[in-house]
Amino acid sequence: MYSAVTDNTQQNQGNRTKKSSTDHSLMPPCQATCPLHMDIREYVDLVAQGKIMEALQVIRDDNPFPSICAYVCDYPCEDTCRRCQVDKPVAIRMLKRFAVEFGGDRMIQVKAETTHRERVAIVGSGPAGLSVAYYLRKLGYPVTVFEADSKPGGMLRVGIPEYRLPPKIIDTEIQRLIQMGVEIKVNTRVVSLDRLFDMGYQAVFVAIGAHQGRKLRIPGADLDDTWTAVSFLRNARLKQKGNIGEKVVVLGGGNVAFDCARTARRSGAKEMHIACLEPRDEMLADAPEIEQAEEEGIVIHPSRTFTRIIDKDGHVAGVECLKLRSMEFDKEGKLHLDIIEGSEHSLAADTVIFAIGQCPDLNLFSGLSGLEVTKQGTIVIDQATLSTHHPGIFAGGDVVTGTASVTQALATGREAAFRINDYLQHRYPLAGKEAEENPLGDLFPETVETIRKTERLEPSILPTEARVKSFEAVELVYDWEAATEEARRCLHCGTGAEILFQDKCATCLACLRVCPYHVPYLDDSGTIQIPADQCQACGICVAECPAKAIVLRKPYGRQQISEELDHIVKAAAQLNLKPLIIGFCCQYGLSGTGTLASLRRGAKAGIWIVPVLCAAKVEAEQLLYAFEMGAEGVFVAGCGEQCARENIAFWVRQHVEKVRKTLAQIGLEPERLEAFNLSATDEEPVKALNSFTEKIGELCFASVITQEVKR
Amino acid sequence: MIVSERKPLAEIRRMIAPYQRLLTLGCGTCATVCGAGGEREVSFLNSALRVAQAKSGNETHTLSEYTVKRQCDLEFLDPLVEKVGDIDAILALSCGIGMQVIAERFPDMPVLPGVNTSFMGAVDEYGVWDERCAACGDCRLEETGGICPITRCTKGILNGPCAGTKDGKCEVSKDMDCGWILIYKRLEGLGQLEKMRRYYPPRNFRTIPRPKRIISQANIDTGEDND
Amino acid sequence: MTNSLFEEKLQSDEFLVTTEIGPPKGTDNSEMVEHIDLLKDKVDAINITDHQSSVMRFPSIGGCLLVKEHGGEPILQITCRDRNRLAIQAELLLAYSRGIGNVLCLTGDSIDVGDHKEAKPVFDLDSVQLLRMIRTMESGTDIGGNELKGAPKFCLGASVHPEADFIEPQLIKFDKKIAAGAQFFQTQSIFDLDSFRRFIQYAAQFDVKILAGIIVLASARMAQFMNNNVPGIMVPQAIIDELSSVEKGKVLQKGIEIAVRLIKTIKEENLCHGIHIMAVGRERIVPDILEAAELVRVSPK
Repeated sequence: MYSAVTDNTQQNQGNRTKKSSTDHSLMPPCQATCPLHMDIREYVDLVAQGKIMEALQVIRDDNPFPSICAYVCDYPCEDTCRRCQVDKPVAIRMLKRFAVEFGGDRMIQVKAETTHRERVAIVGSGPAGLSVAYYLRKLGYPVTVFEADSKPGGMLRVGIPEYRLPPKIIDTEIQRLIQMGVEIKVNTRVVSLDRLFDMGYQAVFVAIGAHQGRKLRIPGADLDDTWTAVSFLRNARLKQKGNIGEKVVVLGGGNVAFDCARTARRSGAKEMHIACLEPRDEMLADAPEIEQAEEEGIVIHPSRTFTRIIDKDGHVAGVECLKLRSMEFDKEGKLHLDIIEGSEHSLAADTVIFAIGQCPDLNLFSGLSGLEVTKQGTIVIDQATLSTHHPGIFAGGDVVTGTASVTQALATGREAAFRINDYLQHRYPLAGKEAEENPLGDLFPETVETIRKTERLEPSILPTEARVKSFEAVELVYDWEAATEEARRCLHCGTGAEILFQDKCATCLACLRVCPYHVPYLDDSGTIQIPADQCQACGICVAECPAKAIVLRKPYGRQQISEELDHIVKAAAQLNLKPLIIGFCCQYGLSGTGTLASLRRGAKAGIWIVPVLCAAKVEAEQLLYAFEMGAEGVFVAGCGEQCARENIAFWVRQHVEKVRKTLAQIGLEPERLEAFNLSATDEEPVKALNSFTEKIGELCFASVITQEVKR
Repeated sequence: MIVSERKPLAEIRRMIAPYQRLLTLGCGTCATVCGAGGEREVSFLNSALRVAQAKSGNETHTLSEYTVKRQCDLEFLDPLVEKVGDIDAILALSCGIGMQVIAERFPDMPVLPGVNTSFMGAVDEYGVWDERCAACGDCRLEETGGICPITRCTKGILNGPCAGTKDGKCEVSKDMDCGWILIYKRLEGLGQLEKMRRYYPPRNFRTIPRPKRIISQANIDTGEDND
Repeated sequence: MTNSLFEEKLQSDEFLVTTEIGPPKGTDNSEMVEHIDLLKDKVDAINITDHQSSVMRFPSIGGCLLVKEHGGEPILQITCRDRNRLAIQAELLLAYSRGIGNVLCLTGDSIDVGDHKEAKPVFDLDSVQLLRMIRTMESGTDIGGNELKGAPKFCLGASVHPEADFIEPQLIKFDKKIAAGAQFFQTQSIFDLDSFRRFIQYAAQFDVKILAGIIVLASARMAQFMNNNVPGIMVPQAIIDELSSVEKGKVLQKGIEIAVRLIKTIKEENLCHGIHIMAVGRERIVPDILEAAELVRVSPK
């Protein structure tokens, strides 16, 4: 079933059209922020519906290595999530990890066929290199990856501690690439790019990363027991014997500094300190990272500058520091420090790790002409083509950008694959359109006020004692229920209602009156407007609009429900089960938590379920239509307490009452239509449903309508 | 807006009984706004009729549906010209005006009212409409602070409240405001209570003789109308 | 020339007593006649109600003619609910021609409270317009401005609701009724003498006679029912409690006691010019009330 992945990727190059959003101006901010522009809204929604396999498929459409991302993405999407305005962002990365693990990403095989003769060499097997390899392979090119180390993975393997990214995850992806036909040559350091062309490669992608650690230029920085973060982590990861002392001081305040300190903790250090320029609340590391580190006993010393490493008999004895009142970078990027006079003090240490950044090591390619290099030691490329000034040589990843996130590297890799394809096929290189798209703006305060606040479910993490003993992954994955619950917090930005048929709109203001979020308004010309950036996509106006002029931008609609109904009626006719009972059940929550499944199992035969995305979206006509199609009983089941909205039950009742009244007028028992609130937690739904089924049976028996209500 | 309300299903079924092929015709203006005859109600009604038909087992109507922008102007009915050949009657979900325009437009086609034209009114809250004007042809809202005693008072009296008012409500229903108390409060607020103290003579029911007709000044000027 | 004996009494300082009789639903008038005979000499005038509470009955004018035949002084009640201005004028001509001299001009209860809810509510006129119309007729023309061959003359009364919870608009209407020609007012039933005193203080400026409406409550449930269903009646909770406090079988007695108490106070304090007793179907008890309230006429007319 995943062969579709291959097909989509083919179409995705160039203008990567999103299946779900018809309007590019409505890109949700999460997607706009994601370097890979993943369709986060879509897969989060699929998780909410319990459609984990489908969610994974959406994830795989835009991400070559979702399992890796699920562990190490720096999730800028969560910073821009519009739920931040209401309470806390949707836990996007953990939902992705849930989808990846529960959807069985490990088992997925990606097929690739060789359709091109041109061979491409990739130098470096870090995230950028592997991403290029993946996409070029899918585009049909023979690809060879050259890796100087003994194992492929680059920074994934030697720069990120195991407790953050288990090696088996990397191995799985490497294995998948090999199955796709990517050739990986380890222990092979490329010393000359020209040589690669001699060997018959027609394009080269340089992605050697930034493995050159930096140290401060202060006295003592070159002592034996000083490390760069790169070398320290690399040593730890490759299990090379290192002489880590008992008192470790890490200089730097980013995630890498914490990686070092926490790795030192797991490698047997007794005291770990982190000292950095930034004040505590401006530290660059992620908040959970800081929190977990402190739990693990790591002491943080913010607002310090460092004057020297104390040298005692040729060994490190500590770091001499000054306290800072403030620090800031000016417009030119120059650092200004406001030092507190007389604040000299020292932090005792026998090991000092510099986690202050890293740069590419380009000495390897010294022989190659035409490769322009910046002052920072990165390769200069044309931003549109990702090509160096040397034809056929492309570059990407940290070697171009300096230290950046894994996800950015994957995005660059994907982009590079398409540009290399353009180069090899002699096409004019056209970059993707994402850059032109404006994500949705902020929610209005009035809208924010009307949105139900829901608690963000944080994933469990290993208890401190357990995690410091080994390099086990610290974060645990959601369980099924937590994941669907958390996914339902998504505000469905930009998928909301639009007046599709302006000519039909009678400007009756029904939408304006029923909207729980007060989104529709009359503009000065007397036309009703439903601002897409404020609409919460609840669908109530769609079900109420008397002119049927409103639709939801997402293609879940009446048609889908009608098709499902037709399908059910046909299937039911074949099985000839009586009585035929049709239930419209909220797919959110119910399905995710297995309630829907238990309904299907536990309820008596003859119940057919039409899954709907929120019970309030079921229109009165559809309820009646079910009877028209021959149902003897119909029910609507909402998800009850767990609903992400306040007023769904009210609208369900409205629709049910309208149809009940009509049934009575026809001479059918109104009890044939029932609304349930199915909550995930209790056993009652099945019981309630069974008693409903029995009642329908009795009604049919009592009034011989069974034979008559048919078409 | 002209507010209408769908007729009981039994009445509609009685009306359509003699006709085999029916077109349920919605109106995209007032009937849509008041939720009685828009596209949604047209398909809901047809669906209800089909369920009823299935239940009774001996009816075989063919029901089609269409909604025009406005039934009360002949021109909007043009799209129906090609449809009327295939139907035996039109079940109109519009006010009485629309139905009569249809009858005029299609002299051979029976027109059946699917709704009752109830009143002219305004929305109170979603799904709730209140009568506001009786089209009496003799508007006296200036005298009553902009609140119509003809429609807001169950008796339509002109010289103040009757003794039936209680808690500001009408003697007919505790849910209905007493129009005269509303008028009193409004005039008091406007500082115009003297308007209520005035004597108002019996109404003139002959402002325009029935059936009423208005001929615009423009037509008279151009001599198009011989009056 | 007026036919009204009651009008003369209105000029006097006598404490006036009127009561009302509801005509039967049907042609059997025997009970009504009985009531007329029972009461005609004990009160100053008898109102015959006009489809009271919008319940269709024998007409008021028919009842008035019977009162007349039996030697009583009738007050013709006319509401605007059922007849347009033509029908009302015609009825007034008939009434005058048959010697009926008093008319109580009412708007009339809403059709919705009665037993013919589907009927067309006419309300071509309201009570103020009705009063004016009669005065116009008295001047020799009908309301359409056409000359009458022989004009009627009436003593005109109207109703007022002194205990209305929103009193100001009621008072405005009271003023308008006086301006339109009302000579006497039979009030809606009163219970709360404090608010009645306030009303009297206001009404004192006008040259009209006020007859306090006294209703006889036969049970707490009846009081409750009237509060909910009969327009213009507001029985206070204290009265309902008082009725509930006595044992079964003695409730009517209690109701009478309450009515008598009210009447006595009104008379002692000389609050107004008289009373109007509404026995609502229990016309038989009116003499008992009068006796208890020491209002028995020494020399009946």
